Parts: sequence; C-alpha cells; structure tokens
Amino acid sequence: MTTTERHPIRSAEAAAKQVSPSTAPKKRKRISTAEKKRRRAGWLMITPSVIHVGLWTLIPVIATFYLSFTDYGIFEAPKWIWFDNYVEMFNDAVFMQSIGNTVWYTFWTVPVSMAVAVVVAVLLNQGLKLQKFYRTAFFLPQVTATVAIAMVWLWIFNPQYGLLNAMLETLGIPGQAWLVDPQWALPAVILVGAWQGIGIKMLIYIAALQNIDESLYEAASLDGASSIRKFFSITVPMLKPATFFVFIISIIGAFQVFDQIYVLTDGGPANATTMMTYEVYRSAFQEFRMGMASAQSVVLFAFLLFVTLISRRVTKEED
Amino acid sequence: MEVKSRMRRTASVAMVALLGLGLAACSAGEADADLNPDEVSGEISLLTPIFEGSPGQDLLEDELLPQFYEEYPNVTVNVDYTTYGNLNEKLTTAVVSGLVPDVMLMGVGWIEAFADKGVLADLGELGLSEADLKESYTDEIVEAGMWDGNVYAVPIMLDTRFGVARMDILKEAGYDSPPSSWEELIEIAEATTVRSSNGSLERAGFDMMSLDARQAFETMLFSAGGELFNDDATAPAFNSEEGVAALGLMADLVNKYEVEDIGFTSTDDIVNPLINGRAAMGIAHNNLWTQAQEADPTVLDNLEPFVIQGDASGMFFGGTLATVANNSKNPQAARALLEFLSSPDAALAANEQRGNVPALTELLDSDYVQSNRFVQFAMENLDVAQREGGPSQWLEVRGDFAPAVQGALLGQKTPQEALDDLAALVQTAIDR
Repeated sequence: MTTTERHPIRSAEAAAKQVSPSTAPKKRKRISTAEKKRRRAGWLMITPSVIHVGLWTLIPVIATFYLSFTDYGIFEAPKWIWFDNYVEMFNDAVFMQSIGNTVWYTFWTVPVSMAVAVVVAVLLNQGLKLQKFYRTAFFLPQVTATVAIAMVWLWIFNPQYGLLNAMLETLGIPGQAWLVDPQWALPAVILVGAWQGIGIKMLIYIAALQNIDESLYEAASLDGASSIRKFFSITVPMLKPATFFVFIISIIGAFQVFDQIYVLTDGGPANATTMMTYEVYRSAFQEFRMGMASAQSVVLFAFLLFVTLISRRVTKEED
Repeated sequence: MEVKSRMRRTASVAMVALLGLGLAACSAGEADADLNPDEVSGEISLLTPIFEGSPGQDLLEDELLPQFYEEYPNVTVNVDYTTYGNLNEKLTTAVVSGLVPDVMLMGVGWIEAFADKGVLADLGELGLSEADLKESYTDEIVEAGMWDGNVYAVPIMLDTRFGVARMDILKEAGYDSPPSSWEELIEIAEATTVRSSNGSLERAGFDMMSLDARQAFETMLFSAGGELFNDDATAPAFNSEEGVAALGLMADLVNKYEVEDIGFTSTDDIVNPLINGRAAMGIAHNNLWTQAQEADPTVLDNLEPFVIQGDASGMFFGGTLATVANNSKNPQAARALLEFLSSPDAALAANEQRGNVPALTELLDSDYVQSNRFVQFAMENLDVAQREGGPSQWLEVRGDFAPAVQGALLGQKTPQEALDDLAALVQTAIDR
C-alpha cells in the first residue's frame, strides 16, 4: 500500500499536482503574517539606502548622460547639441593622450601592485615576528590622504634634493628630473600609484589566504611539493575569487586616479601625465564646460563598464 | 607702531569717506550713492582666496573685520576661505547652486568671464565710476576690473613678475648691473651658469622654471613687445612674430645656451633658487623679497630687480580684486565691505601680510612699500606692467598655455608650432 492510498487527502493533493500546469488553476502561495512583517521590515531598512543611491548616484548618472549631449557652461541653461561634445572630444589630441596615459597607468599599476600585494600577503601570513607592525606599515598608505603622500613623493622625486636621486647617485647612476621630464613623469606617477595600491590589496589577499584549507598544503607537503610549487598550485588557484575582486577594484581605482596627478604634476609636463579624470576636472572647473566634462565622464564610465564585463567574461570562461 | 596704525585707520576712514563723497558726486540721483552706516544692515558672505591660513585668518578676523564692524555694526560677514587653486571650484558650485557669495575676491583675468555672464554687479550702478577709480589707481589696473566699458571690480593687491639678479654673482662674473636687453641677458646668463665637471648644472644663469610657465612666457612676450590678444580681444595675438621670438628665446636659453636645465628648479621648490644662489638671474614674484627676509636676510642686499628689456619693457601683473554679486540680497552691505577691503588701511594690511604690491597708487609712500624693495620697484614700474586676460573665455584657455610652452621648451614643437596650435585652441574657444 502506498502512502497516498493510506491518506486520501494527500492522495487528492498529489493528483492535483499531476494536472498539467496550463489547465490547473494558479494557486497563490500564501505568505504568512510573520513573513509579510519580515519583508516590510526589510524594505523599510533598505529604503534609506535606496533613497541615497537614487538621489546621489542614479540621478547624477542620468543627469551626466543628459548633460553630455548639451552645451552647458554653468552660466546659461544647457543647450542640446546632440553628439558635438563627443565629436570634439575624440578630435582633441589632449583627451586622446589622456586616454592613452590612463590605459598605460592602469596597465602598469594594477598588475604590479597586485603581484607585490600577493607576495607581501603570503609573507605576512607566515607568522613572522612583528607581523602586525608590517601589516600596518603596508596598509598605512591606503589610509593616508593622497595629498600628504604626494607631498612626500614630491620630495622623493625632487631632482636636486630628492631621496631617489641621492640613492641613485650613491650607485653611480645619474639622477633624473622625474616629474618634469616627459620621459620619466608618467613612470614616476605609476610608481606612486602602484606603491599606494599595495595596502588594500594585501589586506584582501591576507583575508583570502586565511580561508584556504591548511589540509591542502599538508597533503602537498606529504607529496613532496616545494614552497614555490605549493604557491603556484594551491595558493594562486585558491586566491582566484579574491584576485578577480582585487583586479576589478584596482582597474576602477586606476582609471579614476586624480589626486596624485593634481598634486604631483598637474597633468604636465606638456600633458605627459594627464589622465581622463584630470581632463574631466579641467573641463568642468577650469574651462567651465560641464557638458564636455559630462561627455568625458560617460566615456570613462563606458571604459570601466567594458573592462569589467570583459573581466567577468574571462573569469567565467576560466571557471 | 600704534601711532602708525592710528594714522592708517584715520587715512582709511578718510579714504572711504572721500570715495563715498566721490561716488555721491558722480552719480547724483543714485539711491545708494552715499552709504549711511547706521542704515546699512544684513548678513553677507565673503569668498576670499587671499586670507587663507592662520596668519591670513587672524588678520581678517582679529584686525580687519572688527574695524569694519565698528563702522557698520549692523552688518554680519560670513567668511568662506579658499585658495586660488580652489577658487574656480568654489565659484562654479556657487554659480550652479545659485548661492553666489555677496562679495567675491578674484584674480585679474577672472572678471571678464563672470561679468560677461552676469554674475557680477555693475559697480557703476552702485555708484562707482571708472573716472573715480583712475584717480586712485593706474589705468591698466582699473581696466583689469572692467568689462564692456563697465566697472565690475576694485583692485586690492597686485602680484607682479619681473627680472631679479643676484648682483654678487653678476659682479663676480664682471657685470655691474642687470641686463638691459635680451642680448645682455643671454650674455650674462651664459657667463654666470655653472656646471660641474660631469656637465650637471650647479647654477642656472637665468631661471624661468620657478614660476608658472604661462606667466614666464607672458613676461617674455611683453618684453618682446607682443600682446596676448588683439585690441578687441576677439583673436589671439601671442603667436605673432614677437610671441614666437619670446618663446624662441626661452627655448634657446634652455636648449642652445644651456643656462638652465628642465627640472633644475620647479614651482614646488621650497627655497627660491635666487635666494640660495642656485640661480644668478631669473623671473620672480615680488614676494621673493619677503621670502628672502624670512629665509636668508643676508642676500637682500644682493637681490636687484629689473624690468626685462627686449623691444619693450616686460613686466607682468596679476592681482586680487573685490567684486559684488549681481544677485546680492544686501548690495549696500556688500558695497560697504568692498569699499572697506579696498581702502588703504585694509589693503595695506593684506598686502603686507602676503608681501604683495598695493594697487592704490597713494600707498607708494607707505612704510611697508618703502621698506620692501621689490614692492617699491613694482609700484614704480606699474606704468609698463601688463596683465593677462582679455576675452571672456580667458579662464577656459589659460590652462592650455603651460603645456604649449613646456612643449616648446622640451623641443617637442618649434615655438611657432606650439603657439600656432595654442592659438587655434584659443580661437575655437573664443568662437564657441
């Protein structure tokens, strides 16, 4: 005897379930009062956040898209000009140079700082002496104002009194005019960017490292794997989700670099270090061209969206 | 000291009173021509880029504003401090939000844009005429506060740039006086440049890198007899023969005569190279004197200012001017503050604090000016000084000058190419 035969009510329910979905009357899932209350409380709790995001993110983003099609010079009402800003922008040699500089800056700062961060994180995860001190030291640049950091780097890069040239001279290498020579200005800025980005990446990697199952390393040790082998065969693959996260935030951060350019070089010499964000700033606050600045912001947004989507695709395929 | 202060205060009150009388006389029938302090009231805001930092704030809040309140007890001033570096951001957000400060201090070259767009009040309507101002200031300075024939700003202080020579170094090289022509400048610069055995520069013969590249170029342009724009400011004129010669000279000084290397000095240097002897000559700001007084007073006797002389006399001036917002709810109170800030007493104190050049001609005789050789020199030569600006788009384009000048100095473009490309950009902005 089956269960349904023994319980007629259940048997009827089972029969009802077998009726094809198209012919069966739709049965509304009953939501308990407690569940309703819970949902209401949930909505209530996220309401401030939704209002905040809507007011300070969504509306400005929509406004930016709208303004990018206008001639808006703050003194007069925006005038619709279709794609004129975009046409002018892509014919502007300085803006095109800023795109190139930004991509170049990102190309170097992201992998370099990620590589250094993962190595530092692994080293600091070994239970070294003064581990906390080192972690704090590496993380300090992240929580220090970029302007303050840039002032220190200004001194380090000073061609006459700077620490860097003094060190090079002791090695018999001639010093450089780091921030005023177009050949060296961008690499100097990249160096600062890479150095400053290590802290937060290191912290994320340390958190991820602590989630890796120790038994994997123990098993590898039993199999006679060397430290390097364990690093490449266990640590690196297990850090993949963290790496993807770090990669995305690093790219976004690198594309949005502004304050160190503002303090260190002002985009110079001869636009050698100007970045997309700096051009947005110049258009908005030096040239009072809010429409153009909006169009440049949209292009920056498109870049970031594109890079993020590509990264996601690549990561998914690899997974 | 107290007596001097009292005398200044008395002079200040007298000046304000005279200005008021003058305004009353020249604009009879205007309801606001004569301010009655008891009737002027309200809360006004002041945006200032010149009283930033502790000494500036102390001066404004502890000395100047109490004097103002003594005269205008019913007026309250809310001060918004900023720097010239952030002034544009402040003004932009103020204009966009519709919360324009009642009184704004801004630079030479800024008036055109804000007056053209109706942000600033026509001071003529508040009873201030061009003729009145020209009695107290030189014509060129008054014109820096005018747009389209109307007065929009009253000058408070000037920032000037001119040549400075270290006479001890020049004398060592056999020269008794600063250069009086471009040819002499090149000759002396070459003679005073010092390089080590490996070729690295130890002393620049002529330093142009310690100040903004745009302002250095403008000083040289003026000394070549060139101008930034044509007479009605509708087209660039800096890519003229004179402009190309000026930029060509700058590029030659670096690349041909090698009297300074790129990066040898910069605007970020804490000590000016003329003070510590790393340069024999250079283009400098008038506050170099104050800097030297603080850093190394022993060099003061060796610092000799000179007007850079080419086909014309090259001296640059910028400065700070006081304006009133067009939409001020308390225009009388705003005007009272403007008049106070530009009065001899307040202007002198502000100039002294920053080591700047008072715009008021009568202050040439003041103790401060007489005790500061560079300020005195600047005031005595204001008749040859020229300013930047011109079209209402000046603020839009001025940021493009430095990269263009740097491009020529670095040899990326010829002076003609650099200036022609810049002129095309500027013309596009003017035509926009």
